[in-house]
Amino acid sequence: MSRHRDVRNINVAGKMFQALGNETRLISHSHSDELDDGAVSDGGEEDLSPQEYEQLMSGLDHIRATVGSQEQSGLSDKEIKDTLYHYFFNVEQSINYLLEAQTRKIAARERKAAKEREKAEKLAQQKKAAEASAKLPPAKPKKATGAKLSGASTPVRSTDIRQLDLAGLNLDDETVLPIDEPPPKITVAREKVLEEARKQLEGNADKKTVSLVVIGHVDAGKSTLMGRLLYELGRVDDKTRKAHERASSKIGKSSFSWAWELDGTTEERERGITMDIALQSFATPRRQITILDAPGHRDFIPNMISGASQADCALLVVDAAVGEFEAGFERGGQTREHLLLVRSLGVSQVVIAINKLDQVQWSQARYKEICKLLRPFLIQSGFHPSKTKFVPVGAMAGVNLVARDGDEAQALNAWYSGPTLCDLLDELEPPTRDLDAPLRFPVANVFRTPSSVIAVSGRVCGGLVQVGERLRIVPGDETAVVKAIESEEERLEWAAAGSNVTLHLTAVDPRHITIGSVLCPPTDVVPLVTSFTARIIVFDIQVPITAGTSVELFHHSRDVPASISKLLATLDRASGTVLRKNPRVLAKSMSAEVQITLRSTTVSGPTARAQPIPLEPFSVNKEMGRILIRRGGETIGAGIVTELN
Amino acid sequence: MKLLGKHLDKDGSGYVTLRPDDDEDIWHLYNLIQEGDRVRASAVRRVQNVSATGSIESHRVRLNLTLAVARVTWSPSTAAAGEAASFSTDASTSTSAPAHAATLHISGRVTSENPHVKMGAFHTLDVEVNRDVRIEKDEGGWDSIALGRVEESCVPGRGAEVAAIVCGEGTATFCLLSQHMTMVMHRLEVSIPRKIAANSGAHEKGLTRFYSALFTSFLRHIPYSSPTIRAIVIASPGWVRDAVFDYIMAEATRTGNKALLSTRNKFIKVHVTSPHVHSLVEVLKSPEIASQLKETKFAREGIMLDKFFKMLGADEMRAWYGPVHVALAADRGAIGTLLISDDLFRASDPIMRKKYVQLVEDARQKNAEVLIFSSMHESGQQLNQLSGIAAILTFPLDVEVVEAEEREAKEEEERRKQAEENGEDVNAG
Repeated sequence: MSRHRDVRNINVAGKMFQALGNETRLISHSHSDELDDGAVSDGGEEDLSPQEYEQLMSGLDHIRATVGSQEQSGLSDKEIKDTLYHYFFNVEQSINYLLEAQTRKIAARERKAAKEREKAEKLAQQKKAAEASAKLPPAKPKKATGAKLSGASTPVRSTDIRQLDLAGLNLDDETVLPIDEPPPKITVAREKVLEEARKQLEGNADKKTVSLVVIGHVDAGKSTLMGRLLYELGRVDDKTRKAHERASSKIGKSSFSWAWELDGTTEERERGITMDIALQSFATPRRQITILDAPGHRDFIPNMISGASQADCALLVVDAAVGEFEAGFERGGQTREHLLLVRSLGVSQVVIAINKLDQVQWSQARYKEICKLLRPFLIQSGFHPSKTKFVPVGAMAGVNLVARDGDEAQALNAWYSGPTLCDLLDELEPPTRDLDAPLRFPVANVFRTPSSVIAVSGRVCGGLVQVGERLRIVPGDETAVVKAIESEEERLEWAAAGSNVTLHLTAVDPRHITIGSVLCPPTDVVPLVTSFTARIIVFDIQVPITAGTSVELFHHSRDVPASISKLLATLDRASGTVLRKNPRVLAKSMSAEVQITLRSTTVSGPTARAQPIPLEPFSVNKEMGRILIRRGGETIGAGIVTELN
Repeated sequence: MKLLGKHLDKDGSGYVTLRPDDDEDIWHLYNLIQEGDRVRASAVRRVQNVSATGSIESHRVRLNLTLAVARVTWSPSTAAAGEAASFSTDASTSTSAPAHAATLHISGRVTSENPHVKMGAFHTLDVEVNRDVRIEKDEGGWDSIALGRVEESCVPGRGAEVAAIVCGEGTATFCLLSQHMTMVMHRLEVSIPRKIAANSGAHEKGLTRFYSALFTSFLRHIPYSSPTIRAIVIASPGWVRDAVFDYIMAEATRTGNKALLSTRNKFIKVHVTSPHVHSLVEVLKSPEIASQLKETKFAREGIMLDKFFKMLGADEMRAWYGPVHVALAADRGAIGTLLISDDLFRASDPIMRKKYVQLVEDARQKNAEVLIFSSMHESGQQLNQLSGIAAILTFPLDVEVVEAEEREAKEEEERRKQAEENGEDVNAG
């Protein structure tokens, strides 16, 4: 951190700025062909207006922010305690920094948002740029040295033309929006937090966090397995367990006693069925795991979707009992639908727990049979074989969850020596998180804490949120201030993308927040739409999709009536090329581009108007750009938003 | 609606005098009156008189005016309220205006001489229930569709209605279904905190609040004791409908609401897959309802639309939609059932209307079943989304083959024309 202070000291030395500014332009101009987005809007370089001075200040602020990551990536190992004057003479390094400074100045946070995600795109674009201006690269080093020797102004004009050329190539696909810089105090804190968050995600800090959605056909034993696992891991004490056992046997449902840990409401307990997502967490040796226990009953798939959209990985529980597995796996069974749903929501790792093997006398043949049936379907649904793991378990008796000892496990030990469920969960890899994106927080639940504070829970889908931040609630014109961030009964100072947290809000009326609202920074608001274009994959459906099909659109925790207003084109599933324009119908397992329009919630003639929902294209924010389409209680398709209109 | 007078010529011109009785009749009038018709109804007009001394005197005059219709606008009573309610996400309830009356505004120029209003002056008529309306159409205006509607709307005792509550956890929509209309009476949204493993109390409290709000809205918006209500449907995914029914009955017992208790056997619980209003289609095709109401128009529509979609899945070549394709199928006499939305007959272009009327008449002649969907029903809305016209064919026809045939026929035609021209040339030569 000390080098930051040094850099800042230099900033105050006003005299330096002119030289520095010129240097910035000069070098960055001469290297702009390296930039993916060469949109440079610098004016004349001679006189620095107050605005430019300020821009410089903010630009330098950003340099400070970048330095950390640059150093981590090993670009510069030299101590940067020297002044920026030094960079003047040390071309290699100043290029690195000032390049960064320039791009940041232009694209500010937009740039940040796109950075991680578009790295791959960048590469391609760089190649393109290199081709387009093939004669430029040789000139580069010369220009740089020239700058060093002759000072500031001379080479700039020549590069300006190139700049124009580059801009003409339309290489900058990012739309540059004017962005208000947040107050400096928060910026500093934010950068610090960003760095901290990055460190944590890279795993240098404590355990990596993973969220896991538990899915499977109704009565496969999802809640029971989770209840038992929590007990085995010491998250549930004996007293609670005994209480559940007593109470459940009292109403004649003693087999559900383990599930009661997660099925909290009276109705769920009476019916012996999970109806809504239950959130719990536990720690394995190397992971901090948040589990979302999803309901298996088909009527509660909306709740399941809400949970699955908050998860990184999935645990599929299948019932090994004869006839039960088949019921769950055949058409219309939830094993199938859930797998497709989580895959469409971006989950790529799945652990398959084959449960209730005790009911088939721990038959290895049955285990193998089920694996054999599931494998092709998993591959077909888009799960990579290396990311799918199978494990035999007995949830009720607690066999092979954490350990495999005791009498119950004898039969299993005879043929199974692989990892336990807990071992597999310990190996789950969290996906890369997008910290630079603007904050998106789709609200999954709104409630009041016992101390009557308004709280919202959900998952951070990009960026990070800090205590004290003011957030905009979309849809609506209201804002709220984050009073506290809570995760697993712990208070946090900040929460980064991928974490499942509860935010305590103040300065807001609860009526303005509903399940499905999205919280975002006031400077970077999620767009609201009633109509958009999406690329979808049609699932195994019997009635084809026509233009005008009425569907329910699912996006995070929100479901709204919509209709597929236009069938734009059918696409090749592999390459994405257009097969046929304006198709008449979409049959099963087709890939297509369609236009989806939200429907008004009232049945009435021409005046009806639909309420818009917050949505972003997939290219902007992956998690905000995924949609699911259902019709008549059946998921008919999943897709990504390509364009808002 | 009451038919008070009718005078039609053979060429389809003439007039009909009607007296609407309820909201649904207003809807019928909306479908009958077209641009260019002449409508005579009572109106209130503010008339200004300038006296010799220059003072202006203005007074309201009730008079009968005849207009040449330029524009007809219809607003379903509850749409505005429903819209407002759906947006407010008030924690407890969202109330809509209790008064509900559909309105029909007809604007146009005055065509008959009148002591108060000049010829050609503009006026907007507000058509209300129990006020006579005379509709006069030009030649060909009273086609089979229009006359059919008059007839249909004047059948007495067709007031069978169904009340439906489509609900989910925290949301409920109260609807009244009559032959031609689905009216959303009220929408209720109560935010219920979802279950959290820690404190399920909040969830249950929210549920109780929701049930009590639902009960009060039920009493206010559903005319449960009215004899015309044939059934009260509670539809929901999950088990909400059971809980709602139990709550309503428990409350009725507690408050001693005998009228409500006596309607107990009118209640039907139906499983649907989503809590949105469009699940009404599912309600209508559910076996519980279908058996009770199969002779009602809306149930028939729902069942037929479902049949069409099923056919589309089973045999794409026997389920066609879109005006062009259906017309082609009709040319080939393939139509078994024609599904057409009343939206198409409201087309402002009389040629378009004539085309659709012709299509319907042709189909009827060929013994096809024709269902004219009301776009005020959910099934009609869905048909509208599907271009408003669809047909189940009696034998499979490939769209592409038919299109190719058409193209060939056209080319043939052109060739013949050309040949004729050439022939004429030859003759001339």
